[in-house]
Amino acid sequence: MRIYRAKRDASHVYVKSKYNILGFISSGTYGRVYKAEDASGNLHAIKKFKPDKEGDVVTYTGISQSAIREIALNREISHENIVSLKEVILEDKSIYMVFDYAEHDFLQLIHHHSQTLRCTISTAVLKSLTYQLLNGLVYLHSAHILHRDLKPANILITSNGQVKIGDLGLARLSAQPLQPLFAGDKVVVTIWYRAPELLLGAKHYNNSIDCWAVACVLAELASLRPIFKGEEAKLDSKKNVPFQRDQLLKIFEVLGSPTEKDWPSVTHLPEYPSLKRLDPYPNRLYDWCQSRLRSQAGYDLLRMLFIYDPDRRLSAREALVHPWFLEDPLPKANAFASVASNQIPPHRRITQDDAPSMSMTIPLQPGQSGNAANAPGPPFPQSQQVLSGSSQQAQAQAKSGHSHHTGTSGSLGDAGGPTVYGPQGHGQVHGTTKLRKKPRLG
Amino acid sequence: MATDFWASSHYKRWIVDRATLKQARADDLVYVSEPECLEFLAIYFANIISKLGKKLGFRQRVIATATVFFRRFYLKNSYCETDPYLVLSACCYVAAKAEESPVHIKNVVAESRALFSQEQYNVKHFPSDNSKLAEMEFYLVDDLECDLIVFHPYRTLLALCNKDFGNSNSSSDSPAEEAEAGELGTGIGADDGPRYWGTGQGQLELSEGGLQTAWFIINDTYRSELCLIYPPHLIAVTAIYLTLVLHTPTQNSIAHLLPYSPAFNSDSSNSGEPSQTTPHPRRSSRTSDSSSKHANQQDPIDFLANLNVSLSAIATIAQEIISMYSLWNRYREDVTAEEMRNMNANANMEPEKSSPERFCIRRHYL
Ligand SMILES: Nc1ncnc2c1ncn2[C@@H]1O[C@H](COP(=O)(O)OP(=O)(O)O)[C@@H](O)[C@H]1O
Ligand SMILES: [Mg+2]
Repeated sequence: MRIYRAKRDASHVYVKSKYNILGFISSGTYGRVYKAEDASGNLHAIKKFKPDKEGDVVTYTGISQSAIREIALNREISHENIVSLKEVILEDKSIYMVFDYAEHDFLQLIHHHSQTLRCTISTAVLKSLTYQLLNGLVYLHSAHILHRDLKPANILITSNGQVKIGDLGLARLSAQPLQPLFAGDKVVVTIWYRAPELLLGAKHYNNSIDCWAVACVLAELASLRPIFKGEEAKLDSKKNVPFQRDQLLKIFEVLGSPTEKDWPSVTHLPEYPSLKRLDPYPNRLYDWCQSRLRSQAGYDLLRMLFIYDPDRRLSAREALVHPWFLEDPLPKANAFASVASNQIPPHRRITQDDAPSMSMTIPLQPGQSGNAANAPGPPFPQSQQVLSGSSQQAQAQAKSGHSHHTGTSGSLGDAGGPTVYGPQGHGQVHGTTKLRKKPRLG
Repeated sequence: MATDFWASSHYKRWIVDRATLKQARADDLVYVSEPECLEFLAIYFANIISKLGKKLGFRQRVIATATVFFRRFYLKNSYCETDPYLVLSACCYVAAKAEESPVHIKNVVAESRALFSQEQYNVKHFPSDNSKLAEMEFYLVDDLECDLIVFHPYRTLLALCNKDFGNSNSSSDSPAEEAEAGELGTGIGADDGPRYWGTGQGQLELSEGGLQTAWFIINDTYRSELCLIYPPHLIAVTAIYLTLVLHTPTQNSIAHLLPYSPAFNSDSSNSGEPSQTTPHPRRSSRTSDSSSKHANQQDPIDFLANLNVSLSAIATIAQEIISMYSLWNRYREDVTAEEMRNMNANANMEPEKSSPERFCIRRHYL
């Protein structure tokens, strides 16, 4: 193995030798995202998976299931509405995924409208974004990939108005699983975007959970706030998934209570008895749409994506040919085509890190020394304490008092990766981040 | 699986030709007594992967994926410069994750150590430290170019033989299913079929036994490097073809559909059925003259002919599978284990390449 290791290390191309790190974008569930530039000036987002630590020492502990998924799936796919993975660099016990850069995302756009412009997103923009999102989703579903974490923060937009679905960290193949999907991940999809069958404990689910999430995202684009902003009931000490009463009530308040007539199989779901005990609500989606979508066809699309019965819910493919997309204004390839330049959200804010390892020193030439101690240091800061910045998303979340997190649990942790239960264990420490504003780049 | 085969990393980057395979073993060739030893090593390591996989409770598809990873790794590396035991252990560890049935790294380390230290392998150096395996995983994933989604013949087999259990997520829910039978139950998306094998018209009715035979033939192909040379659907069709030819009960049950009775059937028939020796013209429609018992049975010749695959490719693969079986008959695990030990010892002790004769060991035949 000595010979092998020496050969491999000698031919390794270091992240820092290929990319100039411009700044830090975001700290998420599984790692941190940086903005970077290659030699020809193309922009990239580099997602660095957290290396695992045993005490203070960073060691190899096995690649997490999440990283394996995101890497494996990204290597197979290519579509204009899916963020494209340029390369993966495995270096110094960390994994770096290099993506094409996307200047905006849905969350940032929503925030820009609610906080800065204080006006709604125009129907032309809204419809183009939804159309492209569905277009990307049709591709994923036709490749038998469930995204399982669609939400505004994971749906990116390039500076020329093209939607790019990102973050396949929870995605997986749905075709011919060796184990039921439920066995792998007890909880999928951030609670506000989680489909009712998942909330009611369904062990088997399919593409339609992503379609529900799309409906939630569409509603959020239209109203600038999450349509079903429930409180997540946390896993108990035995990691049992509790009944998500509050989230279900938030849904029923708008869509009405599900009936066995609308959704015959609901009676088989584990949480059906708890569901029966909730007060009945009438459906008032039509009223909800009156002031927010202002289109009969738009209402109809939302209604069909919000169908309770997963088997009857509109598929992404069906949604794409819905009459709403045939009426004016028509969806555009550049979602911002109709938008005045001063209305387009600002560039992603990036921050610099104070850690010395951030300074762009030229790494040693690989192969110069067989001694690991002489290998170039980690290109990115390792220390979380010196984190001096946060993404715009984090600010938005801090203000709203909610973080868009995904609860993941179950056997993921068994694979040697981090086990994440809710927001406590990771990520944005809103209270303590001090923002250092930098001139916008780009 | 993700996308379709023709758009997959498997097709685009990991189907190679014989010359590439030969080149990949060039360094190892120096250390073995004769070229055939390299093919024995291919069997040897596939067997170990399969054993380790079974100890780890893997389904057949996970074992197959681990084996493909191992083969791909050794397209770029040589046995003599690496530790194949560590590599295959890492292959199993990654394959479990890639197939969404992860196992804990410490189990992989423990099972690997226990297995490799057995007398027949006598590998004492396998690291007890998880981080060594995890480090190997890192190098492995890098050498695999992060292409971790692998296509296998199994699903073509099931789809062609109409074992469509739907896109069922519950295939492994039933504890009553034993390992292999449970594997047969894994579903295939109904819309999956046609783009792999063309028309999607007919499906073949194979008996459970016939299906098992085809399934086992596919398992056996992983002992060779066929998975690097041919698309999995061709291997599947070949396995069906060989089943029709070799599996006696299947042979008998389709005999009446065939234009000619195969020669070997006439003298081995103890089924009591009269052997058909008279050629009769092929029928375009069987419904009129078949007995009702066989009315909806697909003529296997029609079936193979209607597939959108090259029959000459099938014939070539069949030939290679049969050669593999013949090689396997001559295979001796202890001899190959010894060969592997010598190779590593010699490669690591002498920086200069040694002449092949020096390490020659006697050929062993059955
Ligand atoms: N390609 C990209 N271009 C620009 N920003 C990105 C890109 N990918 C991710 N980001 C930013 O980083 C954040 C976290 O990335 P994501 O892939 O969602 O990881 P996580 O699993 O940590 O949520 C995103 O919400 C987005 O703000
Ligand atoms: Mg995310």
